[in-house]
Amino acid sequence: MPKALSAHSNISASPAFMQNLRDIAEITPLLVVLLGLFGGAVVLGILQSFGYAPWFGINEFPTTQYFERLWFSSDFWVSLGLTLYYGFAATLIGLVISVPLSIALSKKFKSSRLFGALTRLPLMVPYTVGIALALVMLGNGGLFSRISAGLGLIDDPSQFVRVLKSHWGYGIIAVYVWKQVPFMTLTLSAVLARKGEDTVEAAMVLGASSRQIFWRVTLPQIMPGIVSASLICFAFNIGAFEAPLILGGGYPDTLPVLAWRYFQDANYAFQLQGMAVVVSLALVSGVFLGAYLLGYRRWERARGRV
Amino acid sequence: MTGQTSKPRDLKAISPWQRLLVLTMATFTIAPFAPLIIQSLAFRWAWPNILPTVWWHEQRERSPFPLAWDYVFSPSSRVGEATINTLGIGIAVTLLCLLICLPAARVLAQRNFHGKSQLEFLIALPLLLPEAAIGIALLMIFIALGLAGTYAGVIVVHLIPTIPYMVRMLTAVYQGHGTEAEDHARILGANRSQIFFRVTLPMILPGVIAGCLFTFLVSTNLFLLTFFIGQGHIITLPTLLFAKISGGALDATGAGIALIASIPGIILLIFTDRFIRNYPLAE
Repeated sequence: MPKALSAHSNISASPAFMQNLRDIAEITPLLVVLLGLFGGAVVLGILQSFGYAPWFGINEFPTTQYFERLWFSSDFWVSLGLTLYYGFAATLIGLVISVPLSIALSKKFKSSRLFGALTRLPLMVPYTVGIALALVMLGNGGLFSRISAGLGLIDDPSQFVRVLKSHWGYGIIAVYVWKQVPFMTLTLSAVLARKGEDTVEAAMVLGASSRQIFWRVTLPQIMPGIVSASLICFAFNIGAFEAPLILGGGYPDTLPVLAWRYFQDANYAFQLQGMAVVVSLALVSGVFLGAYLLGYRRWERARGRV
Repeated sequence: MTGQTSKPRDLKAISPWQRLLVLTMATFTIAPFAPLIIQSLAFRWAWPNILPTVWWHEQRERSPFPLAWDYVFSPSSRVGEATINTLGIGIAVTLLCLLICLPAARVLAQRNFHGKSQLEFLIALPLLLPEAAIGIALLMIFIALGLAGTYAGVIVVHLIPTIPYMVRMLTAVYQGHGTEAEDHARILGANRSQIFFRVTLPMILPGVIAGCLFTFLVSTNLFLLTFFIGQGHIITLPTLLFAKISGGALDATGAGIALIASIPGIILLIFTDRFIRNYPLAE
């Protein structure tokens, strides 16, 4: 019996039943949208990757040939490796920056609000703006190239080190970090603000060093924020399309770009191949998500919190 | 002895390392905009000059207005159309999302039922699956339904990445204020709409505003789903900029469009930061 009912159950006619009905009615639109869009996409994606596409005149369901063709080609594994590398590197660098940044900004100094707002700017603008900034800063004709020419290091744009258009993906990672540090910092700052400074001060009074305070007090407190922020950023990074397409090293592409190329192909049959790429990508991200959450649960249990 | 009661100290109060980190990140964030602005105002900017070889005002007699901005504000750049689309879609998505999420958030905040944690996981799932996977699979459905390349299709697909944030922020607000005030109003004889508009809404308004602003922000910044579902028929600022820079080079007009695409976010940052600041976006 929901708690809120007890206060007024003697007023309305058949409160429990009516209330339940109303709850169901209020949550239905959300369920319809989520299951319709999301569930529909998942079911169709899986069906199509197994060869069900009667609207193209293809119905080989169930066949695993699209997955086989994909998984037995070495290019797929290179693409997967690149996708995961960009995702992991950017998430990790973002965390390493945003954890200390959120702690520094949580100390209230005179201009902390101004600096907080300044570092939040990338959260507010599109990824494509970040890509434009990467081009103007890191490209062969960009500002860093001009500065190295000014320092006498190079004397032609083509001699500038390939920051963009390389499989090392420095440009891609730089854009992800630029855009996601504000997201992570905002999330962690909100967690820090709610926890307050009491426990940190208690630890300080008890004589803990600042390193001990960080590892034993602050970090465990903000761990839930770290877990969910990094999950969201990682999932976004491996599903992103525009940054690898513009700033990446070209073939072999990351998986989202590969899938898009299949879909743009004039031959409709390639769409099924593209769907196999998409399902593989979702599978991989699901596996990493599950492993990460499982590891986190175990960590929490080891600390006796759950 | 808590942070709130002590007076704000100046920047020197935090340790040198923290000061260095904050200043470095502020520079890393803001500085790249400088060459973008310079590029949009340059007439000619030959390599390897740090500043333009010829600024636009040195060529005033040939073009009274910076060339890049002249193009950006001309109809042929389609910037005006893209701006209207971006803002219109953003407002429509925000209202629709609020309409769907507000009742659901009340139930999630105030009731306990079987499968609640599973439902919460389902709501978070759109953020945890790669956007490209969702976008491509949905594109097939939307083509079959005739929604691909339409405003309706783009607005509906924008619900996917916005619903998780909206539900989370609204649920947090509902949890924060309990149901006592509504119970009192009900006992005093207020009807359902009176309770909602006179009691509940004023109490949850800050959270509703924060949720709406963030939803609007996510929608206006969304590229991939607009690009996939819009099929090139629906142009927004992010997709217009993408078309301009997809070749891997940025010219003066591209710089101008990038600056225009940043303006909604900068306005939101200046005027609405205090609303969004204190909400955990993810936890």
